[in-house]
Amino acid sequence: MTTAVVTLLAGAVIGYLGQRSRMCFVGGIRDFILVRDTYLLRGLIAFGLTAWVAFPLASLVLHSNIGPFAQADAVTVVLTIAGGFGVGYFSTLANGCPLRQHVLAAQGVKSSIAYLAGFFVGAVVFHVWVASLVSRVLP
Amino acid sequence: MTTKTISDGIRITAVQMGIAAGLLAVVAGTFFEVRPPEAYGICMACHGRDLLNWTLNIVFHTHLTVASASAVFPALTTLGVIFGAVIGAKTNGEFRWYSPESFFKEFVYGALVMNFALLAGGCSIRLLLRSAAGDFAGVVGFGGMVAGVIAGTIWLRWRAVR
Repeated sequence: MTTAVVTLLAGAVIGYLGQRSRMCFVGGIRDFILVRDTYLLRGLIAFGLTAWVAFPLASLVLHSNIGPFAQADAVTVVLTIAGGFGVGYFSTLANGCPLRQHVLAAQGVKSSIAYLAGFFVGAVVFHVWVASLVSRVLP
Repeated sequence: MTTKTISDGIRITAVQMGIAAGLLAVVAGTFFEVRPPEAYGICMACHGRDLLNWTLNIVFHTHLTVASASAVFPALTTLGVIFGAVIGAKTNGEFRWYSPESFFKEFVYGALVMNFALLAGGCSIRLLLRSAAGDFAGVVGFGGMVAGVIAGTIWLRWRAVR
């Protein structure tokens, strides 16, 4: 129950701030390469640095460590790199990261609503076909 | 005279948004136990998948994958973000219906991004969040994402100048 309430509230704040700031987590790198504009890139770095500082502080306060993370084997590393590359590449072509697309859809951009439809159809496609295909092809 | 322009609205910089979102992601993931998996405070792909699969599991009695954090009640980040963004757009006069002619292309991009995100174990935001939490797989995934953005940008520029 906490998960649902907390993510709903945090999501609402992030959605509001994301709409006001035009924040995008792939747009920063794209803008920097294309026109040397660092507005969005600074937001990306701010997010990373804040989380990097806040995680140890949180575990200090809670007296419990983050993780441990599972020891990533070679297959996981390769899949994660490939997945990350695909996320970056197709998000750039789609003109925004998933967060930006949610915000644009909420602003009334109908192609972003189509993006979200594809997004959720894609989730079902992944779990019904792609995941089992990947696990069958790989050792 | 009160003509309303876009610049009249509340302005928030990307840096302010990044700091607030970073704090919220960590606080939700640690203090409010949005885990396991670790560093799960915010993810547009995984949380949306959880909400969808949880609903499908309830309605159609399927057994689609749902992260343990969302087993009892699903993460509602997707709905929260849309709600917050609608409020932000409506209260600042930025809401308007707009239809670019690329519905099918965007639909396909959406499906592809979701598939690659679930393969990597996070959207662009969560890959960065995992990196910040010290997850090695998160770091290489974020590196892959940066490489993908660079490749995509070079492709867009090449296509534009051709």
